[in-house]
Amino acid sequence: MSQPTAPIIHIQSLAKSYFRETLEIPVLQGLDLDIPAGGFYALMGPSGSGKTTLLNLIAGIDRPTGGLLEVCGSNLNQLNDDELASWRNENIGFIFQNYNLIPVLNAFENIELPLLLTSLTRAQRKEKVEEVLSLVNLMDRRENYPRQLSGGQEQRVAIARAIVGNPKVLVADEPTGALDAKNADEILEMMQRLNEEFGKTILIVTHDPKAANCARHQVHLEKGILDKTVEVNR
Amino acid sequence: MKFLHLVWKSLMRSKRRTFLILCTLILSVFLITILQSLLATLDAVSNKPTEGNRFVVRHKSGLTQFLPISYGEYLRQQPEVLAVANSQWFGGYYQDPKNFFANFANDETTMFQVFSDRISGLTEAEIKEYQRDRKGCIVGQILADKYGWKVGDTIPLTGTIFPMSPQLTIRGIFKGRMASEENTLYFHYKLLEEGVQFMKGKTGAFWIKTKTSDDIPRVANRIDTHFANSPVETMSEAENAFYLTFVKMLGNIGAIIHGVTIAVLIAITIVTVGTMSMAIKERTTEIAVLRAMGFSRARVLFLLMAEGLLLVTLGGALGIGLASLVAKILREILGSALIFLQDFRLANETILLCMGMALIIGFISTIIPALAATRRSIVEGLRAL
Repeated sequence: MSQPTAPIIHIQSLAKSYFRETLEIPVLQGLDLDIPAGGFYALMGPSGSGKTTLLNLIAGIDRPTGGLLEVCGSNLNQLNDDELASWRNENIGFIFQNYNLIPVLNAFENIELPLLLTSLTRAQRKEKVEEVLSLVNLMDRRENYPRQLSGGQEQRVAIARAIVGNPKVLVADEPTGALDAKNADEILEMMQRLNEEFGKTILIVTHDPKAANCARHQVHLEKGILDKTVEVNR
Repeated sequence: MKFLHLVWKSLMRSKRRTFLILCTLILSVFLITILQSLLATLDAVSNKPTEGNRFVVRHKSGLTQFLPISYGEYLRQQPEVLAVANSQWFGGYYQDPKNFFANFANDETTMFQVFSDRISGLTEAEIKEYQRDRKGCIVGQILADKYGWKVGDTIPLTGTIFPMSPQLTIRGIFKGRMASEENTLYFHYKLLEEGVQFMKGKTGAFWIKTKTSDDIPRVANRIDTHFANSPVETMSEAENAFYLTFVKMLGNIGAIIHGVTIAVLIAITIVTVGTMSMAIKERTTEIAVLRAMGFSRARVLFLLMAEGLLLVTLGGALGIGLASLVAKILREILGSALIFLQDFRLANETILLCMGMALIIGFISTIIPALAATRRSIVEGLRAL
């Protein structure tokens, strides 16, 4: 079990606004947050509080309008689009509420996708994909297409795809939002295991108290401002 | 290469849609290739390479009327004229009406001077033997190969225009510059005159070779003026113009073909743009997911473009393949009836033109939706469920 160490995510006076024509709509305002490597944080708050926006900014798929955002040792504001894409491939694993698997690719091919951007050979890619397939207990489903999998299995493939490149940070937006209770529990257990056994830093956005209780910390946002950070006693 | 699998799978996302657009592309490219090749073949016929100093004198009223053979005397007297060969399309077939090819009754001596560029590869002895034998003939290499003929064989020719069926003996096999030239048989003009009463003293046309090409307008004008207001007036024209009269019988082919080509191009561009736009738009979320994973904008654009170009390359190649097959069939089935079709094949320039057009259509139809898709922000793309 790894212990939280130095901040892998350093956020200082972070601001994000959307513009509708000339109208500025602030979503995040002057947010400060440090997340240590190996941390498991749940971002919570009512709709419109800015939690998904914060997750997107940390994952490098959106740009802040102000403040400092350092993730995995990189100041994201200083990276151009191509550098940011490459940075995401190396450092971030995404898990979406609707799984977002590519329907024309089977489980193996979906998981292999992030590795296509690396210099790994075909044999090396195969080895890595099989390794994560075993980890998510889907070796026997490797040839199945998303339409041939249950929701829980699809999300496990999505998790395998997120971790196959060995990223430092996993971000998950409502990862159990589309699952029944049993499958949701399995996914949460898997995420806890990834955090505890493999030392992955995990951030999840959730409305589900059960999912939030799997995290070690809960970050509560209110109208784009950090309300409180609570340590979870598990 | 590692992305080819992804490109192929994306292309096969909707097999029915891909199949239908592929069929549309194949048919369009096939149509354009065949039409442009037809135009190129007709152009080649009307711009046939000649020695430059040859022209034809025919009846002013048309190709089906005859000229008195005595006109030849006046033609030969012209100081610019090197040789005159009277010639008549015989229109016979070999054994079966299906075995139809070009066959002419020609002056057996002067034809070798007048058509020295069309008839080559015969030895002096073969020419002399042909000229000596009234029932002799010479055949082109392609024709001889087709029927397995060799020198000395007897060829029964059944007339379709003239009531005559000569038994001809092959005295030589010649080479030509084009397939249509090698698909031809020549026999003695005198044999036609002897065999067909109403052809005695008449000919379909005179082929004339002058000292220089500059002489042609002057001599042609002089000949037509000389026979003007006579019972049988003449029409002198350059060789290419003569061939063009055949082509013109079919109307303004060039304008029709270009018109159809443009219409097909516009239609296929609209269809392809619509299909590719739909195919890319429905993948907005997938594109966002790929980019979230680390695929750069350029990489995604490359994948989408590769998909579009692979589709049109496949359609183009299959369309050209189909056109090539149809050209071969047309050549073999209709070549004997329509002489110009004997040289009907897809020119490299036409293939390149059609493939180029297909690629341009693929590029245009993919680049616009692909650019729009990759310019969309990842967050916006993920929301587009």
